[in-house]
Amino acid sequence: MSNLTQEQIKVLEQSRQRLVQLTRSLGSLIASLNQSDPLPPWTSLQSQASIISNNLISVSEQLSDQRDLLSNLVAYPGPEYPGRTQANTLEQLLRTKLDPRVEDWVARGRAAGTEPAVGPSSNFASDPDAAHKPLSEAELAHLWEWAPLEANQEARRRNWGGNYTLEEREAGIENVVTGLRRQLEDDDGSEEESEGEEGDKEEMDVIGVHRKPGAAELEFKIASHHPHPVQPFVPLDLILRHMTTGRMP
Amino acid sequence: MHEQSLFASVPVHQHHELLQQLAGLTAMQPRHCLERRLIFKAYRKPGLAGRVGATQDLQQADLQRLNKMLNGNMYYTQVVGPVSERDFGSTAPVDRDIQMAGVDDSKPSGTSSPSYDYERQQWKLEFRDIPEAGTRSAVTSRLMSSATLPRGDVVQAMNAWGYHFTTEYLVEGDMFVLNDIAIFLHRVLHYPGGDELNTPRRQLPALKDMVLFEKSGSYVLQAFIIVQDGSNQETMKTASQHLFGLREQLKSAVLLEQADRLSLDTRAK
Repeated sequence: MSNLTQEQIKVLEQSRQRLVQLTRSLGSLIASLNQSDPLPPWTSLQSQASIISNNLISVSEQLSDQRDLLSNLVAYPGPEYPGRTQANTLEQLLRTKLDPRVEDWVARGRAAGTEPAVGPSSNFASDPDAAHKPLSEAELAHLWEWAPLEANQEARRRNWGGNYTLEEREAGIENVVTGLRRQLEDDDGSEEESEGEEGDKEEMDVIGVHRKPGAAELEFKIASHHPHPVQPFVPLDLILRHMTTGRMP
Repeated sequence: MHEQSLFASVPVHQHHELLQQLAGLTAMQPRHCLERRLIFKAYRKPGLAGRVGATQDLQQADLQRLNKMLNGNMYYTQVVGPVSERDFGSTAPVDRDIQMAGVDDSKPSGTSSPSYDYERQQWKLEFRDIPEAGTRSAVTSRLMSSATLPRGDVVQAMNAWGYHFTTEYLVEGDMFVLNDIAIFLHRVLHYPGGDELNTPRRQLPALKDMVLFEKSGSYVLQAFIIVQDGSNQETMKTASQHLFGLREQLKSAVLLEQADRLSLDTRAK
């Protein structure tokens, strides 16, 4: 293969375009993290992250689609290349091995890519070492599928209303391992009374409910309720007029 | 100087709660204030206005300017004197010399026995123009100026400037400061027995005998910013934006609004 066809140059050009886009969006994320104080809102970070991930996907598609061509290409300097002044760039272009840092990244990426392929075949409980390893992607998905249904079924079997189950209370609540740092109160029985009192003491009255256009939730207007409301007799205008000129209303 | 302000009427039952809310918002305890306010009204001095001058051009220009000054808009103006609770229901000092020796410059009243000395009362002249008409922002903006007057009887000096005493009242309230905003929650008290007097009182009645002007005891909330350079649009805009910020913060408690322009009309007709 001596000369590139028009087609192949187009492919290279496309790859270049995609890489430029990727570096640009990475650059803008870095700039916004460095410059904006306070940090940009999470919505904007998230949209930037999704742009970058889209760029990555398109780069990786391009690279794998044109794998045959790209792996066969060899770069060499033409006679008119300014080798003396642009030596650094030339060295970068002529490298056949990756930069050591980049090699590390690639190795890590390869390892992460091959791991899940091994994961799903092994059973969760059977492997004694599995308890200390992070779950693979497929295992996590499986767990998330299983857990809500199971938790729901378990929940339906019990009569809720306290921090401890009846079984636990019978066995003595001191022995329960909650895994929580704070102390749970066993407030069975007293609960209803205190709730009733709170209801009486409540000083907030909901005086209006309305639906905001475009919002799904209702909005409550809360006004503090006073036992003896006294509205002013003299309007503000007249008070101000009196204060300005001394004239009696 | 320009004063930008927003007002709200606060019913008496909300007063205590609002004081606490403002104390929380501003992170300061309320500063209680009592102020005597004397209202003076400008009048035309007979004989000065409309006098026919000499025919020379220079004098005519001078006279025109003088006439314009004397016959231009005339205003109500206020003379404000801070007082303390001890000044009320007390008698005049018996021996002036003893009191003078121990008097603190910042306090108008005597230190040892409760007494109120009208001759030592501090006064400040406060002028407010009618609020600007047709401003785009929804705050009350008006030209203002204040000047310290000599202690004691101000009526003579004011008369000399063409103002006569109209009436006086007392303002009782609490002051808060939040960044550049001053917040004054106040109400008007009248002296018992009406105002038949044509001069400011030399002695003050007991504070509990004072009569509420607004019979239900409601308060007026005024939030204001004083802008030194009223011609600078940028600072004026910043000030009104700060006031709007406060209005948002207090929205659930009180509704701060622009006051009716004519209710703050200080022009004397």
